[in-house]
Amino acid sequence: MSGAATRALGMAKRLFRNKGALAGFAFIATVTLLAAFAGFLPFDPLAQNIVESLEGPSAAHWFGTDELGRDIMVRVVYGARTSLLTAAGAVAIAAAIGIPMGLVAGFFGGWRDAVLMRLVDVLLALPGILFAMALIAVIGRSQMAALVAVGVHGIPGFARITRAQVLSLRKRDFVTAVEALGASSTYSMFRTVLPNSWSPILVQVVVLSSVAILLEAALAFLGVGIPPPTPSWGEMLRTGKSYLYEAPYYAVLPGLVLTLTILSLDTIGRALSVVLEDRQMIGGDTKLERVP
Amino acid sequence: MSDPILSVRALEVTFAGTGVSVPAVRGVDFDVWPNEVLGIVGESGSGKSVTALALSGLLPPNARVGGSIRLGSVDVTTAAPEALRQMRGRDVGMVFQDPTTSLNPVLPIGRQVIEGQVAHGTVTAQNARARAVELLREVDIPDPAGRVNQFPHQFSGGMRQRAVIAMAMSGRPQLIIADEPTTALDVTVQAQVLSVLARRQAESGAAVILITHDLGVIAEMAHRVAVMYAGRIVESGKVGDIFKRPSHPYTMALLKSLPRIDAGGERLVPIPGTPATPAELQGGCPFRPRCAIANGRARCAEAEPALRAVGDSQFSACHFAEELAPGAPPRAGDDDAGAPAIVTALQAPPKAAEDGDLLAVDDLHVHFPIRAGMLRRRVGWVRAVNGVSLSVRAGETLGLVGESGCGKTTTGRTIMGLIPPSGGRITFAGQDITNLTRSDMRRVRRHMQYVFQDPYASLNPIKTAGDIVAEPLRIHGIYDEMGGAARIGALFEMVGLSRQHLNRYPREFSGGQKQRIGIARALALQPRLLILDEPVAALDVSIQAQIINLLQDLQRELGLAYLFIAHDLSVVRHISDRVAVMYLGRIVEEAGKTALFETPNHPYTQSLLSAVPVPDPDVRSKRRRIVLQGEIPNPARPPSGCTFHPRCFRATDLCSAEAPAFEMRPGLATRSACHHAGPLAAAAPAETAGASA
Amino acid sequence: MTGYVLRRLLQLLPVLLLASIGIWAMIFAVPGGPVGMILGENATPDQVAAMTAQLGLDRPVVVQYWSWLTSALAGDLGVSIHSRQTVLSLIAERLPATIQLGLASIAVGLLIGVPVAVISALSPGSWLDRTLSGWSALALGVPTFWLGILLILLFAVYLQWLPSASGYVPIWQSPLDMLRNVVLPALTLGVYVSGIFARFLRASLVAELRADYVRTARSKGLAERDVVGRHVLRNALLPFVTIVGLMLANFIGGTVVTEAVFTYPGLGRLLVQAISTRDYPLIQGCILVILVIYVFVSVMVDVVYAYIDPRIEYS
Repeated sequence: MSGAATRALGMAKRLFRNKGALAGFAFIATVTLLAAFAGFLPFDPLAQNIVESLEGPSAAHWFGTDELGRDIMVRVVYGARTSLLTAAGAVAIAAAIGIPMGLVAGFFGGWRDAVLMRLVDVLLALPGILFAMALIAVIGRSQMAALVAVGVHGIPGFARITRAQVLSLRKRDFVTAVEALGASSTYSMFRTVLPNSWSPILVQVVVLSSVAILLEAALAFLGVGIPPPTPSWGEMLRTGKSYLYEAPYYAVLPGLVLTLTILSLDTIGRALSVVLEDRQMIGGDTKLERVP
Repeated sequence: MSDPILSVRALEVTFAGTGVSVPAVRGVDFDVWPNEVLGIVGESGSGKSVTALALSGLLPPNARVGGSIRLGSVDVTTAAPEALRQMRGRDVGMVFQDPTTSLNPVLPIGRQVIEGQVAHGTVTAQNARARAVELLREVDIPDPAGRVNQFPHQFSGGMRQRAVIAMAMSGRPQLIIADEPTTALDVTVQAQVLSVLARRQAESGAAVILITHDLGVIAEMAHRVAVMYAGRIVESGKVGDIFKRPSHPYTMALLKSLPRIDAGGERLVPIPGTPATPAELQGGCPFRPRCAIANGRARCAEAEPALRAVGDSQFSACHFAEELAPGAPPRAGDDDAGAPAIVTALQAPPKAAEDGDLLAVDDLHVHFPIRAGMLRRRVGWVRAVNGVSLSVRAGETLGLVGESGCGKTTTGRTIMGLIPPSGGRITFAGQDITNLTRSDMRRVRRHMQYVFQDPYASLNPIKTAGDIVAEPLRIHGIYDEMGGAARIGALFEMVGLSRQHLNRYPREFSGGQKQRIGIARALALQPRLLILDEPVAALDVSIQAQIINLLQDLQRELGLAYLFIAHDLSVVRHISDRVAVMYLGRIVEEAGKTALFETPNHPYTQSLLSAVPVPDPDVRSKRRRIVLQGEIPNPARPPSGCTFHPRCFRATDLCSAEAPAFEMRPGLATRSACHHAGPLAAAAPAETAGASA
Repeated sequence: MTGYVLRRLLQLLPVLLLASIGIWAMIFAVPGGPVGMILGENATPDQVAAMTAQLGLDRPVVVQYWSWLTSALAGDLGVSIHSRQTVLSLIAERLPATIQLGLASIAVGLLIGVPVAVISALSPGSWLDRTLSGWSALALGVPTFWLGILLILLFAVYLQWLPSASGYVPIWQSPLDMLRNVVLPALTLGVYVSGIFARFLRASLVAELRADYVRTARSKGLAERDVVGRHVLRNALLPFVTIVGLMLANFIGGTVVTEAVFTYPGLGRLLVQAISTRDYPLIQGCILVILVIYVFVSVMVDVVYAYIDPRIEYS
């Protein structure tokens, strides 16, 4: 598979020629590293100090302190951990269910397609946040509930994108070609169709990561997400909103980190789709030499 | 002679890319006079379409134009945008390649035809509709008053292109530029469109620049010809001179590499290599690497030859044009990149032809349901294949020919087991394979393989060429048994590819090379029958000949049988032993190729053959052409009786009532499905009257 | 035409049916089920049995669903556990506020998004295009609740021009008051949809500008203004109608977060309150109404699209 490795490397090079994508990647990498190693730093996100409550940014507390005197920056770093873990789990759930659904629906068509796509329609019949809220209303408020709610919301995206890609590939001659060679459906599906489907799926992973982070924060902001005292960006915005007059930085700074995270993922996602589409275009999919 | 309408001098077009600029046209001079048709012919990358766009100032913004283009009173290269806009539609009209995309899908046809003139103020808004109707009538649109408010999707392809011609003619311009106007159309529809274009040109006295890759269309239509190669004109002159006494080795080689519908099956002389694109030139004559007379001479490598007079009105851009004495065969590179000399050693020797047919198809039907409504109820059938019987003997080639939508590809794919048949029987090597189980069909597929039309689309873009060719062996689990990597290398050489290219990806190959990979893949399992679905239709003219020769060599060496599916009658005549003609899901005529092409008896075959443009201007005056009315009907609603009767010049009441049987008829050399089958001459007077409307 | 609308509605029947089963079954997935929900955790078995009979939970499941569905279709969505008012009256009270906010937001989105898309599509790759595309990215990336907070900080806390909490004032009562109340939430949501609109419309404009028919239009001597106005925009706006309609459908229920930021009395806040008080009949009612409206609006969008695109025939 050195061929695949070379291709991935070439793609990464082209991706990071886009300065926005490079900056976005750097930001995400920093946040991820901080979140991963937060436990090794000598700061406690739960340490209260009522005397120092609602103090503005200073050398000791870069982002200031909250109503219980907790360091907001430390809580933002721990909030990143909540956010990223929820997003990763949600994307994993969505991909694990959505991709096989789309693959089966697109490859076999017929009744399987009809049944699976009706299921997707049902999931799509409610705006994402409402669906997540309804789910949480049933299973109660917990980190796992938020993760599942956001993950289920992502299933239709993966299913549809995979299905669309599989459908367009099925009509292509090189897929018909392996059938003409005598390949089984399994071979055609897993060795020919699926390996050619990764580009849009990969883009969807990045896109859904940003959607998941946003949705998790929104749920917390509404007070139905991960319950306190676990630090979470949405929860901080929710509380911070009550102190807009006394401590505007309280809501603004965590929101800024959240916004930058989403913007970074969005930029990477768009740059990635450009690079991947470009690669396919070089593959010369549809261009005929017939027209000289 | 009057002044030219158009004078082009030292035209250069360069596209500015990111960091690099790519030349597309590199110094082109020509004039066009009133009332003449100038044909510009060239392969992909020759710069002919870019030239067309430059003439009307329609190049994209990243194009840099040098030289001068004088059109009437306007200098196109320096004129202000407003002056160019005034010029377009008034002094010059354009016809583009694909009428499906060149018309706006959401505006009525009539409005699109006339809106240019309304914008120019030459037609008032009140008169617009009446004038549009008149324009549509002039290009033979039936019921123009009723159709003027229709949308493009309600027009057939041929009607759309005639509407575009009407649009181009709406301002009575002195010059029409038609860029590949019939490439997207079927041959009988092409005949309609070309005859409308020729008639309107003669009536209006406008000059026409006709840009095409098809030498037949050029010979049929043009008065003068310019041949382009790698961004320059390499030869120009009167149409008769160019075809009879080409004075550039490229023109000569192009003519030699072309299969002819009016000639026998002598081996084609392909041009080696691939067409040069201006982007990758390295100085000297751009044709040098493919040239038959360059012979490594220093002068060809040193200086790019200028276009110079070599006769009264003929110009050539070759240092050694004089060596091309009329009639002398060019010593073109005979190699189509490696003749398969090693083949016999590797491939199992061809079995002696068995008695009977290798493939026999009997009364094959393939019907696709049309579903509608929310319950997806079946509301009808598309009878894509509706009773096809054919046979292929071991080692022979059956050509299956027809226009788009006739069901030829569906027939091929059904035989291959890719589409389930609705009825009929398919027998391969004596075994009924009509409804085999998957695993039984798998075994049959080892002996029967498929080559696709579009070499870009038929190769998996993420596999290397070597893996693609090895894939059939791996699927059948016989990779090692069949010789592994050594076998793949041998297959590569068999189709004229280098073993060094085994690890390259499809996108790194040219179109012709990709098709060679497709053929190598099909040969890997040592099949006895290849179903070739338009294998050369997507290739440049000079590459077509390479692939055709390769296919013929392989057939001889390996004893392969071919079912050769194509729309190009010239190619079919060249490669086939026998030919079957399809129309609307049925075979209407079948015979040995000489009988079918020399003495066709079915009126459809006769019209089809007469519609094919022959690359020989002498033929155009001698030949009588049957221009069929209408277009191929919807296979979901085929006409009653003989499905050809609405377009047929011999149709009688019998034809609309009763479908003719497909059989040998007394005194005729072909098998045909026609109540009134017979040679053309017998009924000639009535036919011309009825058919050339 | 009517037939087409009916057919599209019928096609959605299975989706609506499945979703309604989901909404109905929700209550059984709650720990303790409907009975535990009403009686609390300390109920005696006798009380449970009595309540089960009273609620008709001893009937077959299909019968229970059917009676729930038929009464829901008749407008009886039950009574709120918390406020003891009928669910329907609670929803009817909040719905106009949500619709007004949704329409205002779409208007803001169109006012910003359409010019941004047209300007950047006409000069693709220019600095102007890059700047405006940056705007779209920003509009889409900034979470509405953070943008709302920033707007409150600026206009309510520092400038004190507008209230920090927005009430519902119907436009026909006092247009000026309505504007004062709706401008901040509508701007918040409008900025977000303007990103969606601009990005989508720019992409379809750029694609249409490359189409062959544009070259044809230029070749007949049309001025660039007419090429864009008569040919390109017409084609690009067709799919755009769908997007605008879908966003509208979304906003009926999707203004939850913005309503929370501005404590705006819409359907979304009603639902959030219902969830936090575990008022299940109200939750079910809200979701059902939002779903039905969403589905209905999407069908209308399809119908409008079929009406304005000459390529689609109703039959």
